[in-house]
Amino acid sequence: MVFLLSRLEQKLSELRVASKKALVAYLVAGDPDLETTLELMHGFVASGVDIIELGVPFTDPIAEGPIIQAAHDRALQTSTSLDNIFDLVEEFRTKDSDTPIILMGYINTFLANSLALESIHERGTDAVLIVDIPGESTLAQIGINNTNIASVSLISPTTDRQRIEKICQTSSGFIYYVTLRGVTGASNLDVNEIETNITNIRMHTALPVLAGFGIKTSVDAQELSKVSDGVVIGSVLVDMIHQQSSQKDYKNIYTYLNEISVAITQ
Amino acid sequence: MDNLTDLPNAEGFFGEYGGKFVPETLMFALQELEETYARLKKDPDFLKTFDHDLTQFVGRPSPLYFAERLTQHYRGPQIWLKREDLNHTGAHKINNTVGQILLAKAMGKKRIIAETGAGQHGVATATVAARLGLECHIYMGAADVQRQSLNVYRIKLLGATVHPVDSGTATLKDALNEALRDWVTNIDDTYYIIGSVTGPHPYPMIVRDFNSIVGRELREQSVTLFGGFPEAIIACVGGGSNAMGIFYPFIKETEVQLFGVEAAGSGIETGKHAAPLNDGQPGILHGAKSYLMQDKNGQVLDTHSISAGLDYPGVGPEHSNLKDSGRAKYLAVNDEEALRAFHMVTRLEGIMPALETAHAFAALDYLTDTFSDTDNIVVNVSGRGDKDINTVATMDGISLE
Ligand SMILES: Cc1ncc(COP(=O)(O)O)c(C=O)c1O
Repeated sequence: MVFLLSRLEQKLSELRVASKKALVAYLVAGDPDLETTLELMHGFVASGVDIIELGVPFTDPIAEGPIIQAAHDRALQTSTSLDNIFDLVEEFRTKDSDTPIILMGYINTFLANSLALESIHERGTDAVLIVDIPGESTLAQIGINNTNIASVSLISPTTDRQRIEKICQTSSGFIYYVTLRGVTGASNLDVNEIETNITNIRMHTALPVLAGFGIKTSVDAQELSKVSDGVVIGSVLVDMIHQQSSQKDYKNIYTYLNEISVAITQ
Repeated sequence: MDNLTDLPNAEGFFGEYGGKFVPETLMFALQELEETYARLKKDPDFLKTFDHDLTQFVGRPSPLYFAERLTQHYRGPQIWLKREDLNHTGAHKINNTVGQILLAKAMGKKRIIAETGAGQHGVATATVAARLGLECHIYMGAADVQRQSLNVYRIKLLGATVHPVDSGTATLKDALNEALRDWVTNIDDTYYIIGSVTGPHPYPMIVRDFNSIVGRELREQSVTLFGGFPEAIIACVGGGSNAMGIFYPFIKETEVQLFGVEAAGSGIETGKHAAPLNDGQPGILHGAKSYLMQDKNGQVLDTHSISAGLDYPGVGPEHSNLKDSGRAKYLAVNDEEALRAFHMVTRLEGIMPALETAHAFAALDYLTDTFSDTDNIVVNVSGRGDKDINTVATMDGISLE
């Protein structure tokens, strides 16, 4: 039997073999528009990003801080839907067949598209991260029938040991450790607590553990990369995208990502 | 009929509705709340304190009042009013907040947060927080801050901070989003008092249980006053807490018909309304699966109602289950009908109902014909209308400045 690694597993294991940390970049699909999102995705990869997390806009994103909320609103104003996001990923795959793509969003929009979700792996999506489902439930249990995509779950500073165990059992791809009590874009990182908690998580899973929420500077990224298998950068990028969208010049974002990429490699 | 009373199940579901669909950070707080409530609801001391507070602080029991002129007007069934408007702070909302503040206290929480639409839940929360000297923050849609300015001022007088919410539609749904974000951020010391039978498990159950005092009193009062249970009970439905409170103790009495009344806003056909049970599909918002106003992509739709307390795209999960089972029926009345009922009840009975409650009264136009003059029907007067006089004056083209 030939056992094929998925694109996400492949990428994470390559990084592990090379003793490298993963750089995951988040942006909201359709902010400011889908063509720009496509351009940015390729630009991100060229700047050292290993994995792309595409935010699926929702009217009521309860885990997001003001920056990402506003991006969701802008994306909805241009009528971005999961359907167009599947198309966007397919388009991205014509030029990039290596970079894993994770769709991150809220359960209601996923359920409204549950039929289409059954075949999204054929169209280039590798995983979903649904913020508002209990992490111990499988995709099938919540009504998404696709065993060919990974389901990335969140573990937070308030997750107890029993839940950590259960969540680790149903997760695939990697564990996303939420580094703070709060919404995206907040800034109250506590590196010691993060290190302790990630160490605890590792006792229950062999999956890579990535850290996200509130990571802003290359110093943050560097510190957290020492205690995790990689970092997720979100609000800062979303903010920069918005600042630059009138000039449509995103070079400073690429420079920033390069810096982060270098910082976490040291 | 399926068992409809021993719900929710252990996972927090009423049939297929309900659950706990929240970001991971909140899961532990919900579990903590669930455990605390499971313990306290069997604790005689807790029950005694709750009962004491309902009697001495809220002023319960609320009367079951015979509406003589309203009955004459319709020439149909005997119409009785369950007077939740006479509670301290003027609505049923206080039943829930006096209960939840005891949970907060038992859990050692120092900071109280809540969302509010009409401001009644905000006032009821600020009131119990003031009584215990706890810090209190109320989230309120910016549009509702405008149209319920009287309640905003009351909340401030009670020492709470009002946070106007500008995001989304700037109404109740957005206030709930913001309260959840506050909770995620301040999870360790903060208790979130949800104001209706909405949100993740165990809230729909807890809020229902605390409001069930209304239905339990009605069981006794109806037997005393007219020798049996009413033929029908009518209540307005925003999130659905006043309706669940009066329905729940009667669910097993299948001869008692239950009618919930949603806000049809500008009319169901216009799409500008707040009637998910009449014109929505099951979906997930604010932690629970329930009927929801949403588009084909699962985006939550904007709502409209003259009444801030009903202006919400979702509804408590237990109502969705009662609808599907057929045990309760849900109709909807529009802004105009509610406003007409507001004036009529004020003139005929000397009782000025909240605009939310006016929706329940407006449903009498559709329901009284189906009952005989020996039947008794009860309208739940969920709250009083002082807070709404600015809205009513504006609708009537009168300036109060
Ligand atoms: C007087 C009154 N009735 C009804 C409602 C609607 O809430 P629920 O459906 O939870 O009873 C409100 C909400 O603010 C209210 O103030």
